[in-house]
Amino acid sequence: MIEFQDVSKVFQGKTVIDHLSFSIDDGEFIVLLGESGCGKTTTLKMINKLVLPSSGHIRVNGEDISKLDTIPLRRRMGYVIQQTGLFPHLTIRDNIEIIARMNSGGKETDEIESHARELMEMVNLPPDEYLDAYPSEMSGGQQQRAGVVRAFMTDPEIILMDEPFSALDPLTRAQLQNSLLEMQAALKRTIVFVTHDMDEAVKLADRICMMENGSITQFDTPETIMKHPANDFVRDFVGPGRIWTSPELIKTKDIMIHEPVCCRPWMPVFKCIEIMSQRKVDTLMVTDQAKRLLGVLYAESLIGIRDIRRAAGELMDTGFTAVNPESSIVDLLTLFNEKKLSTLPVVNGNGMIEGLITRSTLVNTLSRQFISDEEEEPA
Amino acid sequence: MTEFLDYIVAARSEILALFLEHIRLTGLALAAAILIGVPLGILISYLKPASKPVLAFANLVQAIPSMALLGLTIPVLGIGMKPAVFLVVIYSLLPIIKNTYAGLMNINAQTLEAAEGIGLTKWQILFKIRIPLAMPVIMTGVRISAVSAVGLMTLAAFVGGGGLGFLVFSGIRTVNNAKILAGAIPACILALLVDRVFSAVETLVTPISLMAGANKEKKIYQKKKERILAACTAVLLLALYGISAFHPKEKTAIRIGTMDFSENETLAYMLSEAIETTLGVPVETIPDLGGSSICFTSIQSGDIDGYVEYTGTIYVSILGNEAISDTEAVYQISKEGMKEKYSLELLSSLNVNNTFTLSTTKEIADRYGLSSISDLKKQNGRLRVVSTLTFLNRSDCLVRVKDLYGLTFADEIGVDGSPRYTALLNGEGELIDAYSTDGLLKKFDLTVLEDDLGAFPPYYAVPVFRPEILEEYPEIAEITNRLAGQLSTELMAELNYLVDEEDIPASQVAHDFLKEHLPEFARRDSM
Repeated sequence: MIEFQDVSKVFQGKTVIDHLSFSIDDGEFIVLLGESGCGKTTTLKMINKLVLPSSGHIRVNGEDISKLDTIPLRRRMGYVIQQTGLFPHLTIRDNIEIIARMNSGGKETDEIESHARELMEMVNLPPDEYLDAYPSEMSGGQQQRAGVVRAFMTDPEIILMDEPFSALDPLTRAQLQNSLLEMQAALKRTIVFVTHDMDEAVKLADRICMMENGSITQFDTPETIMKHPANDFVRDFVGPGRIWTSPELIKTKDIMIHEPVCCRPWMPVFKCIEIMSQRKVDTLMVTDQAKRLLGVLYAESLIGIRDIRRAAGELMDTGFTAVNPESSIVDLLTLFNEKKLSTLPVVNGNGMIEGLITRSTLVNTLSRQFISDEEEEPA
Repeated sequence: MTEFLDYIVAARSEILALFLEHIRLTGLALAAAILIGVPLGILISYLKPASKPVLAFANLVQAIPSMALLGLTIPVLGIGMKPAVFLVVIYSLLPIIKNTYAGLMNINAQTLEAAEGIGLTKWQILFKIRIPLAMPVIMTGVRISAVSAVGLMTLAAFVGGGGLGFLVFSGIRTVNNAKILAGAIPACILALLVDRVFSAVETLVTPISLMAGANKEKKIYQKKKERILAACTAVLLLALYGISAFHPKEKTAIRIGTMDFSENETLAYMLSEAIETTLGVPVETIPDLGGSSICFTSIQSGDIDGYVEYTGTIYVSILGNEAISDTEAVYQISKEGMKEKYSLELLSSLNVNNTFTLSTTKEIADRYGLSSISDLKKQNGRLRVVSTLTFLNRSDCLVRVKDLYGLTFADEIGVDGSPRYTALLNGEGELIDAYSTDGLLKKFDLTVLEDDLGAFPPYYAVPVFRPEILEEYPEIAEITNRLAGQLSTELMAELNYLVDEEDIPASQVAHDFLKEHLPEFARRDSM
């Protein structure tokens, strides 16, 4: 648990951090995101006291860090910066074990080494090959894997990462991001990660802290930030069509037709036909009083019905495919392709109808990323 | 060449001893310079405001001429090893401080931030990160200092500190090239050796990852090689050091200093040997203390107990009187003045008058018809004088000659020591100053111009002692009288010839003299 309470930092008369308050829960992966000079790195460095706030309080697990000894506090936290953060004159073993050895007072060297090996395996850095290598013998990506291992070595509760991957090529960066996500899934640390790269933030973060001029403009999940930017700054930062770099974040509930046209199972066919022609639809959702979906009534199944007083309940399709409102657009496309559907009802966990997806809804949504003037959020 | 080899063979034990002493002095100075320079460099890398003044000061010190600094040091530190080591330490500091500072400041800021961020303490950052990374640069500074210290340490001989400079200075003074080379070549070899050893150390302290080249195996091999080399040299140096350090040294009761020319040395050795033999107390002769002023400073500070001074020097230079030519008056006034002003005792004159002369070659004397100083009047303004700086500047030397005889010269060139004889023979001047007892006068068969108007004051050799010593050993006065009874200016010139031209050590000439003339003063030859 990290809490910032009304924290400000003034550098030579210039306010770089302006009354910042937020809190981070245990096990959360938080990304501090913003342009250079927005105060994201300063914010990060205040957590391990590399920068001291001019006013306000920072608490870690409820304790005000200004009252804690700096060195033990830092040793409780992992710290990763760009690849120059490794000490060039030490081997990878010495680099990653340095703090662990100090903490253990020179004992437990076997445990330390086996832990180092374990973590190196996790980031795909074969220990036999690299434990005794020097940083200069390794690629930038390998060096940074070692940097990540060093941060996790002491099993810290908190890991601070300051643009750790920004100097790497895109492919290596993506591999490291995946490794980091795997480690985080297995080890569940509290990670505070600084970047200026929106894609990276969206990929890694549980929550993104968008910063501008030393204050927070929006602190929310990547999804919300993309779909509901708090202001123009965030909207610009997110950029048009940004959501399409993470289509899994486009949810059914965001694009479905709300309040689809419904009918009741007791309604006679002629009534149903009348509703269809009035509302210009060819499918009706058959629901009960509690809006639970019982079946789907298609126009084509009414063709040639002699007795127009027969009830909708007799003619509806009960073997319909439904989808959850939380399903992503990727799931929808898969379903539509596999089952050759034309319409797809959206049903929540209680079986109640929430909305409807049709082929035209999908086409509308998908076309939006190519038509630049239509920048509204998906409806 | 053969002359050189002969000399090397003959004087090998002396050369080796001086070589070892040189190593010892240089090692001592360098160790002190490292112990001061590295912490100072570290300090100013943390105390940024102090870096400018400290570096400026080190730079400034570097700019002071070494001889001047040495001269300024003597009144404070006396003579011998101390001022020499001090001088070399001072000159070695700059490269060490500068490189330590530069090495520490040029470490990547991100590396330091990472070190701080992961929770290393200030000391851990210094010793585990900063110093190891700065080490190659620091060692380069040490290496530069070490090599220049070897050369600079030759100045030690100038203040009686010993070392290879002793051979170089004695060689220059006696125009003995073999001797100069015997000092210079080992100094050169030592400098190269030191350079090689420190380059090995430099490689050793450079982290493998920071070494140039990509082949790790090769780098490891190179390191191993350098390690062996450095270890061997270290063992060798330690062994040599051990030999020189454990050289048994007698405790001395009386220390007699000498100026840097043969006659003064010979007289001092005579005194030392006679006192030692007669009184049975150990007497140390400290050779080569430069000119009169260094000896005078040393006796005042108690670094030496006695030396042989000249009446004219005391009368004019020390007591500041106008030069006169009355021998007896000069002696009496000098004796009283030394006692009153400086509490130093003048013993009786040794009957050797080493006064100044103006001399020239036979050829020049014939060409210009010169036999006395008055004859120079005929060539007024046409001749050039090559003389020691002392002779040029003192009021009782060239200045007085010019006044008294009404002379002017075409040029007055200051050259110290024997090179002025060379200058005369090479035709770079027509006249030189020469001491009346100078063996070189005989060697080069020069004509001494008669001082017909009595311009030069008497310069009788006379022992000066601290009164405490004479109280304790009153016999020294009698020993002096007995020596005086056997010496004369002419005999002195002969003795000087033996030292300067026959390359017989001054101590040997002194011993032979005693054996022949005063056998009871002579040390028993151990055979």
